[in-house]
Amino acid sequence: MTEVSCKTGVELLMDYLEGAVQDDVRTLLESHVDGCPKCAAFIASYLATPRIVREATAAAMPPELQESLLAFLRAQRGG
Amino acid sequence: MTPPGEATDEALASRAALGDNHAFDEIVMRYQARVYRLAFRLVGHDDAPDVMQEAFLSVYRNLGSFRQESRFGTWLYRIVTNAALMHHRARARRPAESLEAFLPEFDGTGRHCQTPAELQVAGRADELLDRRVLAAEATAAVDRLPELYRSAFVLRDLEELTTAEVADVLGIEPATVRQRVHRARLMLRGYLGALSGVRS
Repeated sequence: MTEVSCKTGVELLMDYLEGAVQDDVRTLLESHVDGCPKCAAFIASYLATPRIVREATAAAMPPELQESLLAFLRAQRGG
Repeated sequence: MTPPGEATDEALASRAALGDNHAFDEIVMRYQARVYRLAFRLVGHDDAPDVMQEAFLSVYRNLGSFRQESRFGTWLYRIVTNAALMHHRARARRPAESLEAFLPEFDGTGRHCQTPAELQVAGRADELLDRRVLAAEATAAVDRLPELYRSAFVLRDLEELTTAEVADVLGIEPATVRQRVHRARLMLRGYLGALSGVRS
């Protein structure tokens, strides 16, 4: 591999972020992103996605479920 | 990490396996909020209580088979994930509409089709959308992920386990975890962009 496209960069992005690409590939990816505003914008939104979904789906356990869970489990084990 | 003076999860599990019901109750109290949240993310609001009950009952019945060489939390997450999977299959839901259409698009030379401004908008979905709309849409979108991607994504990105821990919970290779989580991120990123007014 001597150069990377946006598409290749996207395909390798998570491996790159987790340190699972070889040094020469890492260098090529970083060089591409440095000169590619589209990839820089894509990566920013890619990195934000887990946080946005995590915060949007963080459900608190309803208080009434706590009592019903313990009651269910105690009934199942016979006391 | 267990605070000083408190029994470790593994110590509680050992005592519970020997019939100490107080130890089991302590496990339930310690983990119920996390188990509910995980179940909610895997099966949604309506089915989360059932999955939580099934998971804790399974923990109780299988404490004797818990091997102390793995972390109790990892073992518990595996049980909850399996309970959610069985629940999903038992419900025989109508196949969800695919999120494949939200994957990034490239031109013939492999360049992004969208402009930088369009590409970055998904990362501002929480600024651009009403909080309740985003909560409902994000929950529905996670539910629409292919089953294999959903569990890996929820554990890795929403419950914030490490890739190695997710691999342990799901019994797959770390490289497979990365591939599944990556695909899920790409679909959800595109979906958030579309919700925020940008075509994928």
